[in-house]
Amino acid sequence: MEKFRFKSEVWTSEYTGIRANTIHAFLKALRHVHEDVIYYHLYRNIFEFHYLPLDYANSFAYWMAENGYYVLAEKLSVIDPLQYTNLEDIRLDLIKVLEESDEDLDVLCDKPFYFIRAIRMAVDLNIEATDLKTFVEGIKKIGWHSLFYHMVTARLKLGKPINDFSRWLENIGEKQLAEEVSNINLWAHTLREVKGKLISIIERRLYAH
Amino acid sequence: MLIEQYATYIGEGNVEEIKAVAEPLKGLKVLHVNSTKLGGGVSEILYRLIPLMRDLGIEAEWQVIKGDEEFFKVTKKIHNLLHMPGHERLTSEDIITYMRITHENLSYIDTSPYDIVFIHDPQPMGLIVNKLPHQKWVWRCHIDISTPDEETWKFIEMFINAYDAIVFHIAEFAKEGVKVPKFIIAPSIDPFHDKNVELDRNFILSVLEKFGIDPEKPILLQVSRFDRLKDPFGVIQAYKMVKKAYDCQLVLAGGYASDDPEGEEVYNEVMEEASKLKDVFILNLPPDSHYEINALQRSATVVIQKSIREGFGLVVTEAMWKEKPVVGSNVGGIRRQIVNGFTGYLVNSVEGTAYRIRQLLINSEMAKVMGRNAKERVRHTFLITRQLKDYLVLINYLINSDHIQS
Repeated sequence: MEKFRFKSEVWTSEYTGIRANTIHAFLKALRHVHEDVIYYHLYRNIFEFHYLPLDYANSFAYWMAENGYYVLAEKLSVIDPLQYTNLEDIRLDLIKVLEESDEDLDVLCDKPFYFIRAIRMAVDLNIEATDLKTFVEGIKKIGWHSLFYHMVTARLKLGKPINDFSRWLENIGEKQLAEEVSNINLWAHTLREVKGKLISIIERRLYAH
Repeated sequence: MLIEQYATYIGEGNVEEIKAVAEPLKGLKVLHVNSTKLGGGVSEILYRLIPLMRDLGIEAEWQVIKGDEEFFKVTKKIHNLLHMPGHERLTSEDIITYMRITHENLSYIDTSPYDIVFIHDPQPMGLIVNKLPHQKWVWRCHIDISTPDEETWKFIEMFINAYDAIVFHIAEFAKEGVKVPKFIIAPSIDPFHDKNVELDRNFILSVLEKFGIDPEKPILLQVSRFDRLKDPFGVIQAYKMVKKAYDCQLVLAGGYASDDPEGEEVYNEVMEEASKLKDVFILNLPPDSHYEINALQRSATVVIQKSIREGFGLVVTEAMWKEKPVVGSNVGGIRRQIVNGFTGYLVNSVEGTAYRIRQLLINSEMAKVMGRNAKERVRHTFLITRQLKDYLVLINYLINSDHIQS
């Protein structure tokens, strides 16, 4: 049986030194910033979503709203990073929203936007699973970052629109379980809750055996 | 292991992740240098961060620079001029004093055995002249230097440019145009510090009794030193507005240093103002009153932080950890700590402060929910374990950066 190796990805933040005072400057920067800037402003927000202002889904949108661009804020909020498998596609869609806007892009904003890059570091946790039992034991041992990596970021790494746990479950023939894991909504639950749900779904399947 | 104690608050999985991040750094020699072992947020964090790093196999040390009164007057002036340019000027005598004491410290603090050197704030930053080619030096800046006094900036810029990285609390505190890589790491609190540990209910009541505070009546609390930048007079004004309709008490707890004449002046003015009012308690506490502050925070109904300017108000995080909704000014790091309408409120005026306090007093259920949200936000983002993880990632990045660039 294919082994599942638990990994994690942690990060710290680097200020790129790029700050925008107009939507136009923002758009210009967005075209060329490192893709981990997109990662920081969209994905880190999912990591912290439940502890952030809930009006908008990412810091780009939040900044737009702070400066009175409510329509743009809504249009950027609807871009759901979980639907993407690479950061360049998100960048293109963000740019498209701004390019299609009929707002005056050169109005000076009250507050500038600071572009921050995630400095990401992959970590091997030395935990392996060979079957459902060791898999659920592994999930019990991992932290928020590892959970986030397998449920969210691994899609970018593997270029597949499915979370890492479900991919492995499918590979070992647990199709229904894979689907149940995929159905856990990351916008609706904190990472602590997600962990609890994962454990309960898999244990229920184990006991059913 | 010391790090494992933190599993109580963040879970074993997160502790294991920290250990995994530290694994490649085992045996690395890391030095932290600041200007005092006692007092202030920097030494408070280092006091716990150094043992945690050691616990993870990093050979971490902490050294403190020496200086006379004249030197620290100059460094305070530099601090002020970087943070908020005013009427002062950095004179050539000041520069001579700074260089003289820095030169003395160069022979006193041996930085050569270390792989990574963290320099905290401007006081020890001149030690950079001893940097060796294989070392990575980080300047940990705890203040907002986005709009510094130009002459002072020119003086410290020659040191700054030699560093491999600068760490700020938030991006807004960075000076534009600085070419050195700038990292953003928010400060944190330690749940095991005397200021934050759980307290027995009887102890909390005894503290209230000692100061004559009624435990049955809602308590509005601001903890801060007596300083105009903390706007104690604005807090009193807001209290007066609230008090018209809602029976409550105001506690302003803090202190001032014996060599701080302005602090004494502010304290006396606040006392004068408070003497005209009912149910206002002005507590001038010694700097080590950690348990008393802890008890006051735990007994508060609403915590206020009405600073006019603020770096990262750790008292805000402390109150949030104790499940208190905080009404804080929409400035500096407070904007990152409080999530408006979710963990408390961000306000822009005395009236806004009064309005939000009133809202929280009226709706105690909402205040409770916000308090719980606040605690979870701190658990997720503002505990020392998160800051430790950030430092570990940064160190990993720096020691591999030559390789990455090539």
